[in-house]
Amino acid sequence: MFGKPSRVQSSVGLSGSGALSHVYIQHPPLRCSISGSRGLYYDDANKLLLSPTTDQVFAWKTNQLAQQNTPTSDSIGEGPVLSIRYSLEGKVIGIQRSNSEIQFRNRETGEAFIQRCRSESESILGFFWTDCPTCDVILIKTSGLDLFSYEPELKALRLVETKKLNVSWYVYTHESRMILLASGMQCKSFTAFQFSSGGIIRLPRFEMAMAKAEANQKPVLAAEDVHIITIYGRIYCLQVDRVAMLLHFHRFYRDAVVQQGSFPIYSSKIAVNVVDNVILVHQVDAKVVILYDIFSDSHAPISAPLPLLLRGLPRSNVSSSRFSSKDAVQMETNEMSDHEGIVYGDGWTFLIPDLICDATHGTLWRIHLDLEAIAASSSEVSSVLEFLQRRKLESNKAKQLCLAITRTLILERQPVPVVSSAIDTLVTSYLHSVKMGISVQGRPMGGEKTSTSGNQHVDDSRTLADVQTSSMETDGNSIKHGSTSRVENESRQSVSGDVENESIDVTTGSTVNKSSICSDIEENVNLESLGTSSREPLAKNQTGAETSGAEIEQSSLQSQRPGTGGNQSDSDVSEQRESQVASAAISPDEMYRFIFAPVEEEMAGDPAYLVAIIVEYFRSAASEKLKVHPNLNVMTIQLLARSERFAELWLFVLNKIVEPSKEVALQLLECGRQNFQTRKLGTDMLRQLSLHHDYVVLLVQDGYYLEALRYARKNKVHTIRPSLFLEAAFASSNSQHLAAVLRFFSDSIPGFKNTSDYSMYRRILNGMSSSAAA
Amino acid sequence: MQNPRVHRKTTIACDSVRTRRYLFIFVGEISIWSGGSLVRSTQLILNPSNLNHLGTEQSMMGLSSTTPVSEGVQFCIFDLRRGQHEGQELDKILFFFPADCPFSTQLSVIGLSEGLITFTRIFSPEAACEVIEAEKHSHIFYQAEPDIWMVMVVDKNKEAEAIWRIDALQKVLKEVHSLFVTFHGSVRALLEKEPGGGLVRTHLYSFITDYLTDFLAGKKLQLPSFRDCLKERGTVQMLTVGREAAIDVESLVRVLESSCPGSTPCNSVILFQDLLVSTTLPPDDTLNLFTYAVLRLTPRVLHSATNSWSYLRKGNTSSHVATGSILANVGSPLEDFYASRDTSPVGHVQRYHVPRPLQRGKWSKGKDGFLVTDIWSAEVGSLSSATATVLLQQTEERMYLCVYQHKNLTIILLIPYSSMINGEEGLSIMKQQILENAAVKIMKVEEKLTRGWGGENAYHVSGYRYLLFDSDRSVSRASPPGKVTTVTKDSLLALSKLREEVDLEKLRTKRDDPSHENDLEICIRAKNNAWVIARITRGKELYMVLEKANETLLYASDAVDKFSNRIIPRAKEQ
Repeated sequence: MFGKPSRVQSSVGLSGSGALSHVYIQHPPLRCSISGSRGLYYDDANKLLLSPTTDQVFAWKTNQLAQQNTPTSDSIGEGPVLSIRYSLEGKVIGIQRSNSEIQFRNRETGEAFIQRCRSESESILGFFWTDCPTCDVILIKTSGLDLFSYEPELKALRLVETKKLNVSWYVYTHESRMILLASGMQCKSFTAFQFSSGGIIRLPRFEMAMAKAEANQKPVLAAEDVHIITIYGRIYCLQVDRVAMLLHFHRFYRDAVVQQGSFPIYSSKIAVNVVDNVILVHQVDAKVVILYDIFSDSHAPISAPLPLLLRGLPRSNVSSSRFSSKDAVQMETNEMSDHEGIVYGDGWTFLIPDLICDATHGTLWRIHLDLEAIAASSSEVSSVLEFLQRRKLESNKAKQLCLAITRTLILERQPVPVVSSAIDTLVTSYLHSVKMGISVQGRPMGGEKTSTSGNQHVDDSRTLADVQTSSMETDGNSIKHGSTSRVENESRQSVSGDVENESIDVTTGSTVNKSSICSDIEENVNLESLGTSSREPLAKNQTGAETSGAEIEQSSLQSQRPGTGGNQSDSDVSEQRESQVASAAISPDEMYRFIFAPVEEEMAGDPAYLVAIIVEYFRSAASEKLKVHPNLNVMTIQLLARSERFAELWLFVLNKIVEPSKEVALQLLECGRQNFQTRKLGTDMLRQLSLHHDYVVLLVQDGYYLEALRYARKNKVHTIRPSLFLEAAFASSNSQHLAAVLRFFSDSIPGFKNTSDYSMYRRILNGMSSSAAA
Repeated sequence: MQNPRVHRKTTIACDSVRTRRYLFIFVGEISIWSGGSLVRSTQLILNPSNLNHLGTEQSMMGLSSTTPVSEGVQFCIFDLRRGQHEGQELDKILFFFPADCPFSTQLSVIGLSEGLITFTRIFSPEAACEVIEAEKHSHIFYQAEPDIWMVMVVDKNKEAEAIWRIDALQKVLKEVHSLFVTFHGSVRALLEKEPGGGLVRTHLYSFITDYLTDFLAGKKLQLPSFRDCLKERGTVQMLTVGREAAIDVESLVRVLESSCPGSTPCNSVILFQDLLVSTTLPPDDTLNLFTYAVLRLTPRVLHSATNSWSYLRKGNTSSHVATGSILANVGSPLEDFYASRDTSPVGHVQRYHVPRPLQRGKWSKGKDGFLVTDIWSAEVGSLSSATATVLLQQTEERMYLCVYQHKNLTIILLIPYSSMINGEEGLSIMKQQILENAAVKIMKVEEKLTRGWGGENAYHVSGYRYLLFDSDRSVSRASPPGKVTTVTKDSLLALSKLREEVDLEKLRTKRDDPSHENDLEICIRAKNNAWVIARITRGKELYMVLEKANETLLYASDAVDKFSNRIIPRAKEQ
């Protein structure tokens, strides 16, 4: 696994972190500690970290962890807070006050109303906002789900539908729009719904497998043991089996739930993050992370378990103090810095997808992949390249790494098959991204940042068409340590009806066109069906890594809209530049400019090897019907000629391996100075390309002026000066030829006899013939 | 001004040519050309006495009914530097066919040739005479190496269709010599190795004898006649390959190359059936190996060799029908014939172990896909090895010859002799390596080429009977032989005649200015109303017979245009 870590690093000159870790968190974190805070809540639909105090709630946008991130604050009135979520368009705050009451409060007007449970026997487990077309708010109760539409005029929720079931606990992520409802003694029977903009899908009931510890003792599955994650547009559920010490992963299809495999775990406490479609399984006790990329069938970890690295921890706390002055809420920075060096602290809560919240100290970390380190840790070049090509967050870095790795392979003269498979990987990946309509050539992506982030992420996802992870979130439960969904028994009944004149335009299947109101509404995560029915109507905007059409359309449509997030301006400049590239895919143009051209310069001594590599690239490109960069053709000719492989050069031209072009023809002429056959290839190519003018000029240059005249007449080339032919004929001191050329122009060009050319050469001709006579 | 040079193809018109060593007579005219214009015309009258009549010569050759060898063809190789003294003339003769020819006849043929050469050298030191056209014979000369001459004497006989195109016959001489050098090195080198001449005679004897078996039609040697004017000996025929397949082939070539040890690059030539797919060698070396492969290595040859010996030489399909059965019975008749004689150089065969690369039926496919033969296993001497070696003409490097065959794909691999330190052992390791690295690619390429292969008549263009010939690259493409047989004798005769004229014209241009190529187009309406057309453009020659063409010249010319504009580029693009 660590076959040649140093090789890539040293020769490529990448600043890897010594391969001691593959993921890191960057100091400083987002500090969101407020005095009087009653805990931190994560609103995954809006990507907000919420900290309620006695009568206010502070909200931090988590889509960027900039220091100057000032929280917004809203008054929420007095009362206990069990969970809190902003509505999707951000106008209403829903606050669960007790296990039977939820308060809805308009942010602008402060009007509020309370929604209560009807029956005493049931209690509210939680709620969330949805962009499902038929409803806006969904309440999860022990007796089932209540689907409401939010009616601001009525200052109430209108019940749309009720789904009766027993619920022990639930897990929901806005990213997947999936809710898992656990029931049964062991809490291992599940009912799942997807409330997507395309409608509601009810999945078949399923059971999760759990190993038995002893005959009589049946383990009970807890909510924290189940994680819904979204990877490459597919929805999975990770389930910890503490007895078997396995992490099972199930994939959701619209008509089935299939267990796809298991990872071993080495810790009693397991936490999960997803960064850029890579699963990070934290073995919390062991303080290490194992990375999985389950794109293909291989479920092997990407690399060995390695610790999480904390980057950029200042040596003294002074340096970080300057941040605090800017922001009143971060006054405690200095004092808090001590604990910030602790990794896997007790207060850490892992928020899917990529956040770590330290509720004890009020800090929020974003977890990052160290692509250099990962690339350096494996000697399996193709798989490393494949991995890098799939990365979207730091696609430019991934691309640079891919280019560097490939260059190194060639410069180190690795065996041709190795390089060839690397090239295949890059070509396939490029083709895939082209099919998906991803811009590769550095088109700006609407000021998107590299981080997975709320509103802006929408833009991101539009451009990253294939794997749309538009909105990542965790289930919106409270982050208070320990407590997940148990609702405390506190209720309040204050209905502050809060009329906002805008109903949420809940998107339907045609999200694409209608969703412009809500930035985050794109429903990109959808369930594929397992069987062949994957194209049924419900799958209208179905995506997933393999799908295409609608998505591309979508992305092109949406990308025209200006970015919705107002935070673009303050985003990190360098990151912004980095994110100009939407995909790590390498175009033929870049293949030439960043691989072949620099490599050719460096390894002038061994054309044969480079030709072999180029042939492999040609093969790879041809098999995908991809055109190579025109200069590569020219380079191939140069290399072959330099090594005097004229036979092969001929075959390359004859079989059009090197595609004919004027540049290639001129290169052939150039190389043909030493080899007349090669020169002929060049002239023939000019002729075949119907570059009549160049061909005729060339014929004259070579002394074939009569042939040139014939050709010019036949192909109606009028652009060549008669004097060129006359000079050539004169130079051959053949009076007959000169006379023929003169005659030709006298006949073909009206008024030629009046030109100075004519009179001059007429005189010369007379002189020649008279001297011959004498 | 250049020195006056004799027209290389000195045509001596005379009623009969009689010769005895250095005394000869011509009644005729010798034209001396320089710079394209006639400089001098000389009447030569030499002493007509003391000559043998060639007619008697023919009877002296005494081709009795017992010999299977053709009457009317003589073929000799001699060294002008040897046998300078009276009585040692026999020393000059390195090879004579038929071998049972009395020495007097042999000497007279060689004497005449030598005289002609000496005489014409006066006018043209670099390029002496190429042909003597007598009434009943043609003498075709080819200077294979400095002072090593090959001469072929053929009967002219209109009834027997013995109508020759000189250039075609010369190409035969050239071909056998090139092949000989490829396997044995130059004649001069062998002479230097053993000045007695026994070594070279033995080599030449077995090599040329084996070579000539391919020309045997029944009991006659069937040399390329006017019927073969729509094909070109000494050229490579290529398979037209699509871009993708071509890239795969090139990719395979690189793999093969990388499997070879050492720093000196090895070379490869790849054939599909009897057509060239790829080469890394310069044209002349490619040609030699291609020729050899088509003669002895391709699946078609191997197949027919193991089955029935009904080998049909590609060039002579139409006239060679009977060959197989006769050879099957007699084995190699030439060999038997020679073996029964004591006086000829044949005796040397026993003294030297001479590998016979052209011996038929000696190659077969081994279990690992590599072709095996015992031709070289008996060889003693410095180059003792069971694996064939060949000499590249351009680099003069000796190479191991390894041949791998998969279905219709024949891969000739040339590994530098010098890079293989541990000889046979190294070779078998390398073979193993090639199988490991390239087997999948080879299969893929073979499949792709088979899929794209248009069959026997792939390059037939309906309505046309053509020969397209690139003299720079020694590459040709022609109407398939089966289609050429539908052309009438008259048309072929006319085309043969036309080609002869074009050959002359080409020589003349070349002599005037070697760097300049004349374009040329000739359309001739033959007696049978067929159009016979030659067109030369920048080294590419197109010959064509249009039998069902319209009346007008314009039509014929248009037809050619259509062919060269549409058919040829398309054929290339496919």
